[in-house]
Order: sequence, then C-alpha cells, then structure tokens
Amino acid sequence: MDLAKSVLFLLDKRFDGSQRVRRLHGLVNEACGQASEAEVIYTEMLSKDPTNVLASKRLIAQLKARGQLHLATQELVTYLDTHSNDFEAWLELSHLYLLQHLYQQAAFCLEEVILQQPANHYFHLLYAEIQYTMGHLDVALKELLRVVELSTDNVRAFYGVKLTADRILAELKQQTPSKPHQSSGKRDHASSSGLRIEQVPQQATLERLSELATERLVSAYNRAGETSKKIAEQWLKE
Amino acid sequence: MSGLVESTDQAMFLDPAIRDWVLFPITIIMVLVGVFRHQLTILMTGEPPKPDIKDIRQGKALMRGQLLAQNNSYISAPAFIERKRYLCEAYEEGKYLKNKDAKDQSAANLMADPKNMEAMMDGMKKQMMGIVPQTLIMGWIQFFFSGFILIKLPFPLGVRFKQMLQSGIMTPNMDVRWVSSLSWYFINLFGLRGVFSLILGGENSADGTRDMTAMSTMGAMGQQPGQPQDYNKQFLSMKDSLSIVYHEWDLENIEQRVFVKYGKQARIFKSSRK
Repeated sequence: MDLAKSVLFLLDKRFDGSQRVRRLHGLVNEACGQASEAEVIYTEMLSKDPTNVLASKRLIAQLKARGQLHLATQELVTYLDTHSNDFEAWLELSHLYLLQHLYQQAAFCLEEVILQQPANHYFHLLYAEIQYTMGHLDVALKELLRVVELSTDNVRAFYGVKLTADRILAELKQQTPSKPHQSSGKRDHASSSGLRIEQVPQQATLERLSELATERLVSAYNRAGETSKKIAEQWLKE
Repeated sequence: MSGLVESTDQAMFLDPAIRDWVLFPITIIMVLVGVFRHQLTILMTGEPPKPDIKDIRQGKALMRGQLLAQNNSYISAPAFIERKRYLCEAYEEGKYLKNKDAKDQSAANLMADPKNMEAMMDGMKKQMMGIVPQTLIMGWIQFFFSGFILIKLPFPLGVRFKQMLQSGIMTPNMDVRWVSSLSWYFINLFGLRGVFSLILGGENSADGTRDMTAMSTMGAMGQQPGQPQDYNKQFLSMKDSLSIVYHEWDLENIEQRVFVKYGKQARIFKSSRK
C-alpha cells in the first residue's frame, strides 16, 4: 500500500490533472477501504466530463462490491443506453442479472454480446447454459452444437450436448405416443412439463448427437488423468 | 552566373555557388517553416473537442443498428425480430436523437447551432494556417531567387511547362529541363511530406499537399468537418435497411455441420426435411 501511494505521488507530480491518475487515486482509496472518498472522486470526474467511461465503470463496480446489485444493475443499464457497443459491459450486466436469477434478461444481454462477437465460442456457451436453465432445450442444444463447432472437443459443451439431447429424448418419450409420426424432419412439441422443445431435430438425430457427445467425451478423458477418467465413465454410464 | 551552351544537348555548367546559396537554403527554410506551422497549429487548436454524451449515444445507437443488420444470423429469430422492432421504432421516433425538435430542421438551420460555428471556424483557421506560409514562401522565392536557373530536371517535360518553371528567364530555345528556383519550391512541397512524417510523426499539419486539396474542396462547402451529419436521415435509412433484412438463423443446419466436422457424416445433405 505504501508503495502504491508513493508511486501515485510521483505520477501525480509528473502528469498533473490526468484522468488516469485521478482514477488511480480512486482505486487506492477503494483499496484502503475509504470507499466514500473514492466515490467522491469518481462523481467529480463524471460531473466534469459525463462521457468518462473509467469513472462510470468504477462507480458501478463499487456498487456491485457493496452488494447493491439492484442499484448496480440500474446504473449499468443507464451506462449501456449511451455506450451500447461496449460488449464487456453487456457481459457484466448479464452476470449481474444471473446473480439475481433474472435469466431472461441475462439471456438478452448475452445476445447483445453475441451480436458483437459472434465468433467467440465462450459467449455461445454461456448463452446455451442460460437457455438450458430456463428450460429452452431446443435453443440450448443448437447453441451448444455451435460451441462444439467453433471449438473442437470442448468438454463442457459436450457435457451440455449430452445432457440436453438425453433430456429432450426423455421428454419425447413422455409425449403421448398417439401423435402420428410425421415425415417432416423437425417436430413441434409443446411439453407438458413446461420445457420448451419446439423445433427439435428428429429422434434419430438426437440419439446420434448423444452418442457423438459420449464418444468425444470418452476420447477426451482418455487423455486425462486416471481419477477424472473414472468419474467421467461413471457419469456417462448413467 | 556563367552559362556555357556547348551542344544541342544543352549541357550547361552551373556555378556551384548556386547550389550552396539557393538549393539548400530553400529546403531548409521549408522544413523549418513546416515544423513551425505544425507546432502553431497544435497551439491553436488545443485538445480535440470531446464529444458530447448525446453525440456518443447517437453514434452508438446507429452502430448498434449496423451490427444487428450485419450479424443477424447469429441470434435466433425471435431475438432478432424483437430487436429489429425496437430499433426501428426508436429510429422512427428519433429516440436517440440529440435534440428531438431538430428532427425536421433542414441542413441550413443546423449551421446556426453554436457548436457547429466553432467547429467550422476551427477548420477555416487550419486552412488559413496552411495557405499563408505557402504564399509567403512563394513570394519570397520569386523576389530573391528569380532570373536564373537552378537545377536540371532528370526527366523531360512538355513545352507548356516552360512558362511556369522558367518563369524569370526569357529564352525560347532552352530545354524545359533547366528550371528555376520556383520549381524547386514545388518539388520540395511534394517531397518533404515524407520527411515531415518522419520528424513529426503521422498526422502532421506541416503538409503542403493537404492544404491544396482542402483549397480545392473549399468551393463545395457542403459537408465540411464542422457540419454535423444528419443523424435523423441516417437513422431513417438504417431503419429501412433493417426492415428488409432477411433473417436466416445460422444454426438451422448445425447438427449436420457438427456431424460432418467430427467425421460422422460425409457431407451436408441439403434435403427438404431438416
């Protein structure tokens, strides 16, 4: 801490009135536990220049650290109203929503992120997991497959694929078998248990997907250590 | 200045004093004036004007629309439709516009905005800074260094250039390749651009050629940097382009693509049943 302060002093002398130095001041204050002083610094920076990104972000981060998630969310939404192309902020907002179990909003934020970074498989993964949590198994499956396509042998994604495919199959089995077998590939099902599985692929495809997932997982774990391999095998057998 | 015309090739022997006292000084003066101009421009314009928060909002809202149109295939249909609807509505209402009442104003009215006046004045000042030194140097060269030949150009030129490049010397027969000091000035003007970018780095205001292009566009004063772009029009055009986007979800055929990728399937079947 003393080192930080002495360095900060030197910086202040050299770069007088610099925005970054002010922010560092705020950070040091925060680290020392003087949150209110830091807040004063940031609000002052913002009043001088409402477009200052650093200050707004620090304020929001402070709110989050204090646990005032609701306020933090509100502030972040205001920030994003202006700077709608800051995908990291969208990501942060999605995390905030997840902390408050607001899955639909979180999914929306992730969609914004995906719009800006469509090739990043991690965002698709997060999105898929949220959709799975919400019960939208069809979307989840598609997104997981996208992840698998973008990043070969992604273990987390393959787990997801297997889980989702199996769950959909279980759901389908539960459907009344009186429904005539349609020749069209995709079938629309309104699940009775509230899971949304419209537009799912054919049963055969689902089974193949599940098999593929199992196979890839097995091959991935064959390269891994013994203990994790055993655990994985057990899980896969169920 | 002695000049001996020897053959039809017109090989002339020039006094080396010319080289010492004209060639180098002109170059040095131009470099110095350029650097001086650059520093002065920095002094005058100060920091680049910070964009207003409403301006940022406008710009980013537009970018959001662009992104949506560009990457629409990566999000699912309902998500896309929802955003499209929201954005089209917002653009129509002018929700993101800086001042909503200005929606119907014409471009001429927008000039009355005080901020634009400032920005335009800045642009004009910059141009003045460019023109004045050029004119001064040209006049100075004409005054002091006229009436003699300075250099021989390594490449031949047409006869029409004779008037411009040999301005002080009335000789009907001399090759156009022998030129006066004014042409050396012009050569320097274009050539020192490279030198300036080395000394002053990248975006420098010592460049003569940029002023020349600025001068030629000053006549068509329509969209000068001071003039704000008409966001309302841009929003409306973005709305139009969004409404005609045909959304096709990239993930429609993904199961097949995954199978192909992992070698379970030879190729993608484009069948009617998906």
